Amino acid sequence: MAIQTNTDKDKPSFIWGLIKRVLFFDFIKGLIVTGKYSLKRTVSLRYPDDEKWIPYSRFRGALTLNYDSEGKELCVGCELCSKVCPTDCITVVPMEDDTGIGITDRISKSWDWNSTRCLYCGYCEDACPTTAVRLGRDYELAFFSLDDAVKDKNWLLQPHKVPESIEGGVVAKAKFVRSKEGIQVIPNFDKTKTRRM
Amino acid sequence: MLTDFINMELVLSVFVIFVKIMIVTSALFLSPLILTWIERKIAAHIQARLGPFRVGYHGLLQAVADTIKILTKEDTMPNNADKWLFKIAPAIALVPAMMVYVAIPFGDTITLPFIGEQTLYISNMDVGLLYVLAIGGLSVYGFIFGGWASNSKYALLGGLRSSAQMISYEVALSFACIGVVMLTNSLNLVDIVNKQTGGWWGIGGWNFFAFPVGPVWFMIFLIAGLAEINRVPFDLTEDEGTLAAGYQVEYSGMRFSFFALTEYVAMITISVLAVLLFFGGWSAPFGLPELPLVWFIVKTSVFIYFFMWLRFTLPRYRFDQLMTIGWKVLIPISLVTLLVTGFMVIG
Repeated sequence: MAIQTNTDKDKPSFIWGLIKRVLFFDFIKGLIVTGKYSLKRTVSLRYPDDEKWIPYSRFRGALTLNYDSEGKELCVGCELCSKVCPTDCITVVPMEDDTGIGITDRISKSWDWNSTRCLYCGYCEDACPTTAVRLGRDYELAFFSLDDAVKDKNWLLQPHKVPESIEGGVVAKAKFVRSKEGIQVIPNFDKTKTRRM
Repeated sequence: MLTDFINMELVLSVFVIFVKIMIVTSALFLSPLILTWIERKIAAHIQARLGPFRVGYHGLLQAVADTIKILTKEDTMPNNADKWLFKIAPAIALVPAMMVYVAIPFGDTITLPFIGEQTLYISNMDVGLLYVLAIGGLSVYGFIFGGWASNSKYALLGGLRSSAQMISYEVALSFACIGVVMLTNSLNLVDIVNKQTGGWWGIGGWNFFAFPVGPVWFMIFLIAGLAEINRVPFDLTEDEGTLAAGYQVEYSGMRFSFFALTEYVAMITISVLAVLLFFGGWSAPFGLPELPLVWFIVKTSVFIYFFMWLRFTLPRYRFDQLMTIGWKVLIPISLVTLLVTGFMVIG
């Protein structure tokens, strides 16, 4: 099969080419393109000063451990998440407990998540029989010391940064807070607007 | 009495000129503060970004923050640099770029309270255009010296490119100015502007609409001017891709910002010249009210915006293409247009 070339067809006639050059046809075309873009809405957000992106609920952010509706720990310390984890970033130490902290008499003594090793695949979420471990929507995970890379059970049991009732996929008004504990961007979930990306 | 020896009128006129010089110089020194902000904003919005936003309202004070940063930077110098030349090169580049404004009129006359009628130019030279071209061309020495004194291959190449580019395009730029001189019969910039008033809708008298040669002269002027001020698509002297930053590569801190200042002032000069020579200077278009300075600034701003818009639209030419455009395209076209203009003036 011969290779088809369109060079002859696409080639403008000499006169037409000359007219195009004299009138700066291609330059004007390019200027129109960039001019249009300069009038369009910008893609970047005024993060962290003014706006913050609230991800969709399918977003895979920081790991969270959860309670059931009665306030009992859902985790039963089965270690399935730890087994399934491709990067071995979860370490679970189970223990027996009949004081009613958990939903059964087996809970986790410690539940450590190494955020630097995690690749946010969500296998742990799939493996968990009690939906105790879920990937939340927090994406601000920077830290100053490597000791802070491993998040313990208390950190993971904190309430979600973005409540699960919020659908997400919106830009929220946010406040940038500097404090001794570090910097924070606190979104206002009541003032949101959709923005096509 | 003392007044017998001193001509008070002369003293007053010298004082007025001094005040004018102060105003123009400070305006030129402050303009890059705004222009860098505008350029960064235009760049950002063309690329669907926001640009500077955190210092001041919409990042307006970004340039001030940059200035503070640049003032506190260490002033480094290469080991084997020609020290004296290296130090003086930014000044050699900046001073001629600013000296051009001695001859540039910003308006005709203005009546101020208490002072009375004043002219809006420092000096009304009969050879104003020639002076502007002659002094404007001197800036290239700063670039060449800067490139040479740095004792760096990139800087030297940048300086050499700069000199070649300036020489090639000075010819076409001068031709475009000669065209305007032929159309208006004057080298005096005030006269050139005054001869462009009137006509159809207040814009018919503009040299740009002197068909058929007006638009051609303007395009030659614009292209040659772009090359003269080293802006995209002709910014080969500071070609980031191949020369790092050309002649500025070894400069830092305030000396570097002097070169940046020179380029902004040169851009304003070309915009101002385009307005004066082709778009009727300070005359109001479409029968709108004549306001001092306003129309001049509006027209100049349009050109400055256009140059910035162009910068983020076009790619850079290759060096051989640059030379081809200069010598094989612009100069022959200028010669033909010169002939046509001559016939127009006679006929």
